[in-house]
Amino acid sequence: MPLKNLRGRAAFVFDEIDFDVDQIVGVKNIKIKDTDELAKVAMQGYDPDFATRVKPGDLLIGNENFGYGHPHYPPMIAMRRLGISGVVAESFSPGYWRGEIAMGFPQIACPGVLGLVSRWDELEVDWKDSQVINRTTGTALPFEPLSDGDRMMLEHGGLIGYLHARDEEETE
Amino acid sequence: MGATIAEKILARAAGRDRVRAGEEIKARPDFVIAYDFPGYTDVIFRQMKEDFGIDKVVDPSRFALFIDHMVPAVTPQEEELHQVTRDWGAAQGVPVYERKGIGHQVAAELGYATPGAFVVHFDGHISQLGTYGALAIGVRRHLLEAFVKERIQIKVPKTTRIDLTGRLRPGVMARDVFHHIVRVIGPSACRFQVLEIGGNALEHISLEGRQTITCLAMFTGAITAIINPDRTSLDYALPRARIALDPVSSDPDADYAAVHRIDLSGLQPVVVIPPSPANTHDLSDFVGTEVQVGYLGSCASGRVEDLRIAAEILRGRQVKPGFQLHVVPTSQEIMRQAAEEGIITDLIASGAFVTSSSCDYCFGRMGVMSAGQRAVSTGTLNVRGRMGSPDSEIFIVNAAAVAAAAIEGKIADPRPYL
Repeated sequence: MPLKNLRGRAAFVFDEIDFDVDQIVGVKNIKIKDTDELAKVAMQGYDPDFATRVKPGDLLIGNENFGYGHPHYPPMIAMRRLGISGVVAESFSPGYWRGEIAMGFPQIACPGVLGLVSRWDELEVDWKDSQVINRTTGTALPFEPLSDGDRMMLEHGGLIGYLHARDEEETE
Repeated sequence: MGATIAEKILARAAGRDRVRAGEEIKARPDFVIAYDFPGYTDVIFRQMKEDFGIDKVVDPSRFALFIDHMVPAVTPQEEELHQVTRDWGAAQGVPVYERKGIGHQVAAELGYATPGAFVVHFDGHISQLGTYGALAIGVRRHLLEAFVKERIQIKVPKTTRIDLTGRLRPGVMARDVFHHIVRVIGPSACRFQVLEIGGNALEHISLEGRQTITCLAMFTGAITAIINPDRTSLDYALPRARIALDPVSSDPDADYAAVHRIDLSGLQPVVVIPPSPANTHDLSDFVGTEVQVGYLGSCASGRVEDLRIAAEILRGRQVKPGFQLHVVPTSQEIMRQAAEEGIITDLIASGAFVTSSSCDYCFGRMGVMSAGQRAVSTGTLNVRGRMGSPDSEIFIVNAAAVAAAAIEGKIADPRPYL
């Protein structure tokens, strides 16, 4: 089951190194369970109009060591509710990476992406050629290929699907 | 080319003679550990049964559960969660350790830190079992994989080696060492790697101090930390070990991603300023900053040597009126030893609030701060809202500096008190 290319705009560029994703919803909102409520509070500190400007398929762009700290799940639950299809960053913090890949949420480590992309550029993540293409500027950069486990996790919609796929694989 | 200790442990766990960094393997964890937490263990138990139709884990003796958060419960829902954990453990034959202390510490006391073992947990601070030559990795939600499969898929990590040299000056502690490492190599230098700590400075750093250093590995980007076993660690770990394994060590010609040499002889006490664990500075730059709360505890500190130095500073002195000093020994075993040494008495006499072991002060469930308050803390983390209001602030310091700040109501250099 090959991964479908991601296509969307750069909905926001987090240029902070070691970005703590909890700031996306704000620590005071981290315990909100309702996804609509979470989506409402998301990005209020960065762009109050974010929710109305973002379109399904859009991507987030991050700097080095994106997700550092003790990341929680609600910020990206909110982002997915708003239609965000993945995060492309210079590099990721492992705890954040594992957590989101387990949710089936694409994370793309692409060194140099901050120099490739401005906010609202049209982007494509090409899984087959392992590159991030900027359709607005006509430029592209290679990203770091996924491990087999991570790729399977994304192909099967996250951890549960992946483990079921392993059931089939291991009984073959 | 030789192999790192991490490669050797994963090779054995994968049933292979040899694995190399970068390979993807399926490895069998020797121990699968978790603490109960809403949305984690309760969900894993449910998913195991409902999504995979599995009634029993394979080999329950490999599993261990700790009830160390939300202890004691303050809502009926918290107690219900604990009961789910107790019931699941009883039905599975999986041991549940309750009110023994913070699980990462108790796991070492109970022999889950078997030298050479491969251990998984969802929480990254399990890395501290690396003090005893175990490879202990926090895998977050992937822990479900270890509950429903005997083997987990893992990419063999590269290793960055840190050689610590020199001897710490009085008043400088393992806590300072770890944050100094972050300051030197940066908060992402070991991303997705193993942080291997070595060097002759370890001869003067206690096992407790080594646990402090390995506990916090994630703040270098590492997925765990490990120390090649030595006489000191083996003397502690082998008599408690729950399984018979040959301890392994890195070969002298192991292939490291990087090797750093850090001299500790000139190190001064440090402070990690909010809101990121990456912000290490010399403590001296922040002396005089007013603070209202002190927390000495967590899986990263709160061990006997931390309590001992705090008691030494506070003995015959008083916590400043209005200052709240919370002292939480990391385990009941540590509490008992500290009581026998008279440390607890000294701390109480000085005005400290000494309370039973729990994770709850570290993540802001108890002893919380209101907006505008500042803490000096030996907790794991200083991000916004970690210990209460998002508008409070946490300054991470060593245990001695927490005690000195408690006396002055300001960030203070502990060394004049020693």
